[in-house]
Amino acid sequence: MSQMQFGIFTVGDLTRDPTTGKTLSEHERIKATVEIAKKADEVGLDVFATGEHHNPPFVPSSPTTLLAYIAAQTERLLLSTSTTLITTNDPVKIAEDFSVLQHLTDGRMDIMLGRGNTGPVYPWFGKDLRAAIPLTVENYALLRAVWDEEIVNWEGKYRTPLQGFTLAPRPLDGIPPFVWHASIRSPEITELAAYYGDGFFANHIFWPASHTQQMVARYRERFAHYRHGTPEQAIVGLGGHVFMRPNSQDAVNEFRPYFDEAPVYGHGPSLEEFTADTPLTVGSPQQVIERTLSFRDYVGDYQRQLFLVDHAGLPLKTVLEQLDLLGEEVVPVLRKEFAIGRPADVPDAPTHASLVAKAREEQRTDDTPESTDQEESA
Amino acid sequence: MTTIAVVTGGLREPSSTRLLADRLAGAVRDHLPGQDVQMPVIELRHVGRAVVDAMLTGFPSAELEQVFDTVASADGLIAVTPAFNASFSGLFKSFFDVLPEPSLQDMPVLIAATGGTERHSLVLEHALRPMFSYLHAVVSPIAVYAATDDFAGAGAGSLDQRIDRAAAAFVRLLSACGPRERPQEYAAELGEMERLLGGLK
Repeated sequence: MSQMQFGIFTVGDLTRDPTTGKTLSEHERIKATVEIAKKADEVGLDVFATGEHHNPPFVPSSPTTLLAYIAAQTERLLLSTSTTLITTNDPVKIAEDFSVLQHLTDGRMDIMLGRGNTGPVYPWFGKDLRAAIPLTVENYALLRAVWDEEIVNWEGKYRTPLQGFTLAPRPLDGIPPFVWHASIRSPEITELAAYYGDGFFANHIFWPASHTQQMVARYRERFAHYRHGTPEQAIVGLGGHVFMRPNSQDAVNEFRPYFDEAPVYGHGPSLEEFTADTPLTVGSPQQVIERTLSFRDYVGDYQRQLFLVDHAGLPLKTVLEQLDLLGEEVVPVLRKEFAIGRPADVPDAPTHASLVAKAREEQRTDDTPESTDQEESA
Repeated sequence: MTTIAVVTGGLREPSSTRLLADRLAGAVRDHLPGQDVQMPVIELRHVGRAVVDAMLTGFPSAELEQVFDTVASADGLIAVTPAFNASFSGLFKSFFDVLPEPSLQDMPVLIAATGGTERHSLVLEHALRPMFSYLHAVVSPIAVYAATDDFAGAGAGSLDQRIDRAAAAFVRLLSACGPRERPQEYAAELGEMERLLGGLK
């Protein structure tokens, strides 16, 4: 198993292609997303993650449905989310949906939690935006309880109490999915991830590297503070944002109209300014390799790298070409280069298999002669 | 060392708003004799595009971030805007809209404005003062409004006096507040998160 995971994450936006004026139908976009995921598997990427949105112009409102369908048509791709809304989804339903997904995929999945960035979603699901942070903390504590405890008795502020509740199905092999906590800018999330010893994923792509650097440093420090290991052993993921052509000027010329009208950053800074200020890289595969390798300089050795390749109305054909370049030219070099100089005590990216092995190991340590002695003397 | 940042929203070069800012800065310096006073001047025109980009993308460019650092780490602020359409200029407001929220917390601020006629002088009281109060700054009680006549006509002498009075009041406030510690960004949010997680066990 590779030390680092490489993959893609999608927002699932329906954006007009500014070069043709064409906007995909929701049906076409959903089918295109499946094609993109299958291609990611085919070219040897490790992870596909989908966003969750509940309003147009986005299509992924039911991530586990999409991921299960993709899982059935892929071989080794790990399915994840970017992100699952821990604020507005019922944590019990999250546990159920992802438990079923975990069984269906034989553990080839994990989950990335986030608060969401769309204010109006909260009231649609009966929640209060102003309580976003306490909701996040309470909901995640409940999700952990439902996954980690056989019988749950629970009472909180934002949900009906649970008495004698048992999750069905229980997690595969008794090991719940690995959890990442994701943030674009909220440093509070570093504290949450560190407290539980979970992974921290910095969105990275819409913000300057300096901000990501601060957040990751803080997460690592707090991870050690809560005694989950050394700062270097914390589990870090990063977003990335690339557009490639063999010739870098072709990449710039082709991507510019998409950049200029893209949601989130369009109509603002120029492509050149944005590539200087954020990790966006538009150019040759070699430039993408160099830029991506430089991420390690400011976050340390990390576990997961996801790229955004399918937004802003880029046609499916172009996205599939991006995946070819990633799979053939970029990721093999990144795997090799990131492995060089990586200290032995930096953990590999967690998988179901590694978590099962770790749990068995911990169980063995618990059954040491020390406890046997006690039993004998008793 | 005392650092007083000067933010000026004038659009022309040279501008009467910058002129007023310089005269206020000079008067403040006169009231701090023998002290090491740094007064970095921020012309908003020079960061106009960066301010709009920050509004659109949600983050400041590296250049604008430096300007934010200058403001947030200052001991005091002199803020001067032209009066446009019965309020501060849009650029002036936009700058403070994208400045990270705790930057001005507990900061003594001297406010001033320029305009074509003195009829707009209350812009200081109904636009600038409430905005800075909202940002948890400590706004100096005496503000200065300068109309065209103040720079040339009969009002010129009286403007000198008003600037001097405002500077004296601002310096009193500055001394009373003492050296300022820059507020930690996100300190409140992180404290809240630690408290919430602490409550779980």
